[in-house]
Formats: sequence, structure tokens, C-alpha cells
Amino acid sequence: MAKNLSGDLQVVSANRLVDGAVVFFDEAGYWTERLERAVVARNRSDAEALLEHARRRSFDAVDPFLVAVSEDEEGRIEPLSLREKIRASGLTFAAIAAEAVRYA
Amino acid sequence: MPDTHFYRYDDFDRALIAERIDQFRDQVHRRLAGELTEEQFKPLRLTNGLYLQLHAYMLRIAIPYGTLSARQLRKLADISRKFDRGYGHFTTRQNLQLNWIRLEDAPDALAALAEVDMHAIQTSGNLIRNVTADHFAGAAVDEIEDPRIWCEIVRQWSTLHPEFSFLPRKFKIAITGSPNDRAAVRVHDVGLRLWRNDQDEVGFEVIVGGGLGRTPLIGKTLRDFLPRDELLAYLEATLRVYNRYGRRDNLYKARIKILVHELGVEKVREEVEAEFAAIKDSALRLAPETIEAIARQFAPPPLRAKRTRVPEVEALRLEDRDFALWLKSNIAPHRVPGHVIVTVSLKPAGAPPGDASAAQMEGVADIADAYSQGEVRVSHEQNLVLPHVAIEDLPAVYRALQRLGFAEANVGKITDIIACPGLDYCALANARSIPVAQRISAHFADLARQHDIGDLKIKISGCINACGHHHVGHIGILGVDRNGVELYQITLGGDVDFGRTAIGTIIGPAVTADRVVEAIDALVATYLESRRDGERFVDTYRRIGAQPFKDRVYAAV
Ligand code: SF4
Repeated sequence: MAKNLSGDLQVVSANRLVDGAVVFFDEAGYWTERLERAVVARNRSDAEALLEHARRRSFDAVDPFLVAVSEDEEGRIEPLSLREKIRASGLTFAAIAAEAVRYA
Repeated sequence: MPDTHFYRYDDFDRALIAERIDQFRDQVHRRLAGELTEEQFKPLRLTNGLYLQLHAYMLRIAIPYGTLSARQLRKLADISRKFDRGYGHFTTRQNLQLNWIRLEDAPDALAALAEVDMHAIQTSGNLIRNVTADHFAGAAVDEIEDPRIWCEIVRQWSTLHPEFSFLPRKFKIAITGSPNDRAAVRVHDVGLRLWRNDQDEVGFEVIVGGGLGRTPLIGKTLRDFLPRDELLAYLEATLRVYNRYGRRDNLYKARIKILVHELGVEKVREEVEAEFAAIKDSALRLAPETIEAIARQFAPPPLRAKRTRVPEVEALRLEDRDFALWLKSNIAPHRVPGHVIVTVSLKPAGAPPGDASAAQMEGVADIADAYSQGEVRVSHEQNLVLPHVAIEDLPAVYRALQRLGFAEANVGKITDIIACPGLDYCALANARSIPVAQRISAHFADLARQHDIGDLKIKISGCINACGHHHVGHIGILGVDRNGVELYQITLGGDVDFGRTAIGTIIGPAVTADRVVEAIDALVATYLESRRDGERFVDTYRRIGAQPFKDRVYAAV
């Protein structure tokens, strides 16, 4: 089933300037690597205001943008699109790091 | 072993690189201090090969014409360990990508690269990119002349060429010195093929307007025979015509292939030849001394003829099936008797294609020092090559590669898959490539079966940019995004062999990720049932057409 990728719930994400790591904008106005700390905008105008706020605080983050998320009953959020899922949770395969250890 | 027979950067190159690194260090510093915005900084980092991908910065390191010394490979290992996560990804452009570089470390990584005369210039932007070549250059038995001499001449001419720093789009040149084209010259913006004419003169066939991506096109012959000393003038004329007429209004129509397609090769030829006539006797004509000086830097290593029949090799071949298969698939003839070219498969069963850990890179460097004159090559098929190995050393080389996990006897086989980084890394991707490659590779891991299936090239791209060359795979797989779901479009019949270059045809609706392996299985089964003696997969496809393959695939999935 196709999902609605432009859902109502949105968080702001960016890449951290210093190392490119995926970060999310939190309640306190900082960038965090933890998606669960991200502040969730619940409608379009909140989302735009949040993005604007995040942009003003983006001296240590690159190109903030909105990410559509879903939320379950326990309040856990997850990006809707595969791309954002991968951004949030990392490579979907064991990178050669495993090999690197094996052959080190 | 010293790499004395390598072309060495001259002082000009060194000073230039050092200056660039200093500038970049300052720019990074200013960016981190908030003095430069991302908008201002982005073009500067891209010029230095630093991209921002999904999870991190990626440094794309140029490996000119795919040639590395053992010392350089060791340095790449060292850099990947010090500044990255201890591994790197060899690409279809014969480059190395490090996927986890910190911005603040990038200048140091570049400085470390410069210690071995390497850099990341010309790996980004609308300019002439790193020139690629046959990975068997300087060793191949069928070679007319070492193409790297010409790659190096083109590199020197094109590096920071002021007139061609802002082309309508990027520009890729590939050169082959052999009739068996291993550099895919018909699918580059300009492809150059050295050949010998009836008068016994060696010159270039100049091919223009090939390319993959959104609009895949096979290059057309612009000039059948170009004397070698006129190469730079002819390229300059071609680039000028492209610079003048290439479209800058539409990103998707900006490559030279579109110009050739829209104007027709005759018109482009007319323009190029007119431009060429005006400059062919200029300083761009290459003096014999210049060519010779560069050729000397690529002088073949001093190999002496050795035994071609070695009892130890024969004995091991009879006793070890995997070694016997490895001899069949990973070894190519060398021009010096008693020697061979060894392809080091970076495709162990189930592994991400083209990846190597720092320890593996160091291991290959050690083997190159001990057994291959300190030379290594990177192939556009994402493997490494040991170009000068004595037959008598093959058992030792094989065992050493086995210890590294790089002795898979699968070169040219179904698990020797080309795959772009895809959605696991790449910001432009629609779908993942690497996990798909891994699943296919694991499914077909059995070596005897792979050898029974024979030569079969699977190429996978995560989006229409086609970095994984899916259009020219015998089986091509293209990841597409349909409403947030990854689907894979399958093409059949692509080929890059010279004279047979072809763009594959889509066989039908895209399949879901979990059905890709079944689909490949169905294609292979169709081939195995229908093949005649000596037919490769792609030959059978050409003979019987797509229908039987389609029927089987869509019945299966
Ligand atoms: S083909 Fe697309 S997904 Fe793959 S590396 Fe190129 S741009 Fe990225």
C-alpha cells in the first residue's frame, strides 16, 4: 500500500556540519542525533515555523528540511519515506567494518 | 619495491596541489567558524572532491587512469583507517570513495594523499573529469600502445584548463589501447580507441556523444583516424564546439551526447573540423619529444620471460578445484611469456561490491610489492588488478589473496556484480543497490554453478544517473521509487564490448526488492534451458529475443 509521504507530522532534520551526521532539531533548539528527541510539528503552519526556527539555529547544521513522520500509540516516531528511514537508522547492511575487523 | 617506472608529478603539480590544500584548509576553517555559508562553501568543497551524502561527507579520490603503486594503495588504506571507518569503495570511475570523512579532517586527508602525489581534483563539477583507461594497460597481450600515456597527456592538458572549467556539464573521457575495449569507450562523452591503419600508423578513432544516465546513447565516430600528435588540438576543438553549443538551459540536456543527438554527428563533425583546422598547427600539436618523455614514464617494468608451464601450478590446479576455477576466470594473458594479469575480485560472496578494508588494501599492496612489480590497477568493474604476475608465483598469490578474502573465482561471472552505492549512501538515490547485489551474490555463491552459467554481467544502479552502468549490463537492474516503495526495473541485452555495445531493453514492469533474486533466477533458468554450445547469456538473449525470458520472469514473480 502506498503511504502518504506528505503526512501531517513532521520533524526537522539536517546533516551536522562538522561530520555530516544525520541530526534532528530538538525541543531545546539544539541538533541531536536521536530521532526520539526531535520536536514534532503537528500541522503545516507549525512545521513551517519550526523549520524557520531551525534554519536560524543552523550554524552547526547543513540545509535543514522537513521530514514527514508517523507516530505510534507510544509516541514513537518514524520517518515515512525509506530514504529518511535509512538516514535515521544508518546503512541497511553490515558494511565492510565487519570484514575490517576480521582481517585486521 | 620502488615505483620508478611511474609517471611522477612534476614540481608544478606538487605546488598546485599544496596550494589548493592550503586554500581548502582555510575555507574549511572559515566554514566551521561560520564565516562562510553552506551556499558559499558547497562549490569549494565539491571542487576538492568532498560531497555530502546521506549520513556523512564522502571524499572522492581520483585514481588517474586507475593506476596505483603499492605505496599509494597503502596510503589509501592508512587514510581510510585514520580519517574514515577503515574501508573504502572502489567505483565504476576507477576512483576510491571514503564514506565517513569528517569535514574538519578533510584537509588533512588531502594532505596525506598529496604525500603520494594523489588528490581529489577533477572528481566533481562541470569540467573534464578524471580520465579512465583500460585496467590492463601496459600489460595486455592485445595492446597496441599503452593508453595511459595519452591519459596522462590529456590529464596535464585538462587539469584546471581555464576555458573548460565551466562546461555545460561534466565531461568524461576514456581511452583504450586495445581492440578488446575494456574501457567502455562507446559510452563516454569522448572515447578514444588506438588502432593501427593499413599504412601501419597508429592513431585514434575518436568517438563522441556516448553516455548512460537518463538518456543512454552509444557514441558515434567523429573521426575515424586521428594522428596521435593532433590529439590535444582535436580535443580542444571538440570541447570548444561543446562549450559553444552545449545546452546550459536544461540540466538533462546538457551533456555532449544530447548535442550530438540533436545536431547530428555530421554537423558536429563539420564544426569540430573547422575549429580544428584553425588550431591544429598551434602549440597544441604534440612534439615527439613530449610524447616520448611521457611514454618513458610508462615504460614497462623489466620483466624477463619465464616458464610458461610450471609443474607446481599444474599440480595445484588438479588438486584444488577453486584454484582451477580461479585460473579460468581471474587470469588474463600477459605480453611477456611466463606472466599473467591477475584480477583481484572485490566481490566475495554476499559482500558489498567494490569495498575493501584498510587491512585488505594493505594486503593487496604487499602482494603487489612481492609479485606484481609494485603495481595495482583499479577496474571500472570495481575490482583490483595485479598487472604483472609470474605464472610460477600464482599459487603464492592465490593463497595470499585467499587470506584477504579476495580470491573469489568469479571475474566476469554472475556474482561479479557492479553496483553503485545506492540509497544506503547516495543523496540522489531512489533505491538501494548494495543489498540487492549482496542477495544475488549470496544466492549464486556456488562457484561451480557460476562457472556453469558462464559470463554474465549484472549491473545495478540506484537511480537513473546510472553510476552502476545498468544500461550496459547483460542484465541491468535499475532501482526506482514508486510512492515510497523501492522497485527494480530489469533490462536485458546491454553490452560494452567493442563492436557489440548495446543499451539493454526493459523487459516489463518493475519488481519488488524481495523478488529480484527470483527474477534473476528465472532469467538464468531460461538461458540454461535454451543455450547452445558456447553461447553466453547475452548471445542466447540475442538469438531468442526477450519473450521467453519475460514469460518466465513474470510467471515466477
Ligand atoms: S546511480 Fe544514482 S544512486 Fe547510484 S550512485 Fe549514481 S547517483 Fe547515486
